[in-house]
Amino acid sequence: MEHLQLAQLGAGIAIGFGAIGAGLGIGVATKGLMDAVSRQPEVAGKAFGFFLLGAALAEACALYAFVIAFLLLGK
Amino acid sequence: MEHWLYTFNVAGHSFTVNLDTIFTMWFAMICLIIFAFIATRNLSVVPGKLQACCEKVMSFFWGIMDTMMPAGNKQHVPLVASLFLFILFANLMGQLPLRIIHIKQGELASPTNDINMTAAMAIIVLIYYVGAGIIKKGPKFFLHDFSFVSIVMALVELLEMVTRPLSLSIRLFANIFAGEILVSIALAASAYFAPLPVMLFEILVAFIQATVFMMLTIAYVGSATGEEH
Repeated sequence: MEHLQLAQLGAGIAIGFGAIGAGLGIGVATKGLMDAVSRQPEVAGKAFGFFLLGAALAEACALYAFVIAFLLLGK
Repeated sequence: MEHWLYTFNVAGHSFTVNLDTIFTMWFAMICLIIFAFIATRNLSVVPGKLQACCEKVMSFFWGIMDTMMPAGNKQHVPLVASLFLFILFANLMGQLPLRIIHIKQGELASPTNDINMTAAMAIIVLIYYVGAGIIKKGPKFFLHDFSFVSIVMALVELLEMVTRPLSLSIRLFANIFAGEILVSIALAASAYFAPLPVMLFEILVAFIQATVFMMLTIAYVGSATGEEH
């Protein structure tokens, strides 16, 4: 294969595996939010703020993979 | 995204600056400085509308500092508040139709889609929290006592001084950059209404990323100046 095709393959693999981790992380965060809200419905607003913060931190891992994929495509 | 590069020579070394980032950064800074100047010009005991809004914003920072840091946190409010306001304004600026102004190379967008901008802010945070820790604890900031565990911990903290600014800068940069790529993909699909939900999501991301940067700054400064370290 050509180098460009290999780079495109690598970019696809990078963003795919990165998205697995971020998806697992956001799923665990959502599970924690649901547990907290069903146990104590009055903390829903406060817990949702922390959930957004944690989800943004987990999502950043997928974005690191996105940057790597973009760097691979830019070669 | 391409940037408008400008190269100049100083004493035999060539430096390259991204002019579009500098323009948008100074635009955001000038807007914030003018707003702060207008808001603090006629302060009174009974606040007017503008002063009441700004007091609400500042009390938001006070509340977060009180919940996330131990006592004696008044001195850290200026850094945290100005970082939050600047990043929020810079992220929201990316959704303005600035791209209709044509420049020679690249495009005018949010200044935080440039890794140099976010890396500069992350390095400022690094210098600030290391300096605050040294002022608070002296040389004990680096090494508590001579034992095997504390020497290993000191090495781990030296490693953290590299990874913390790296993750701070790449997180903010990648979020804004990925947002712009998403908007341009939606723009290629249908130019009329497809980018609209993506842009609304980007406004949410702008608030969340500014909050994340501020929260992590508070956590780093808090852990550097707190008792257990």
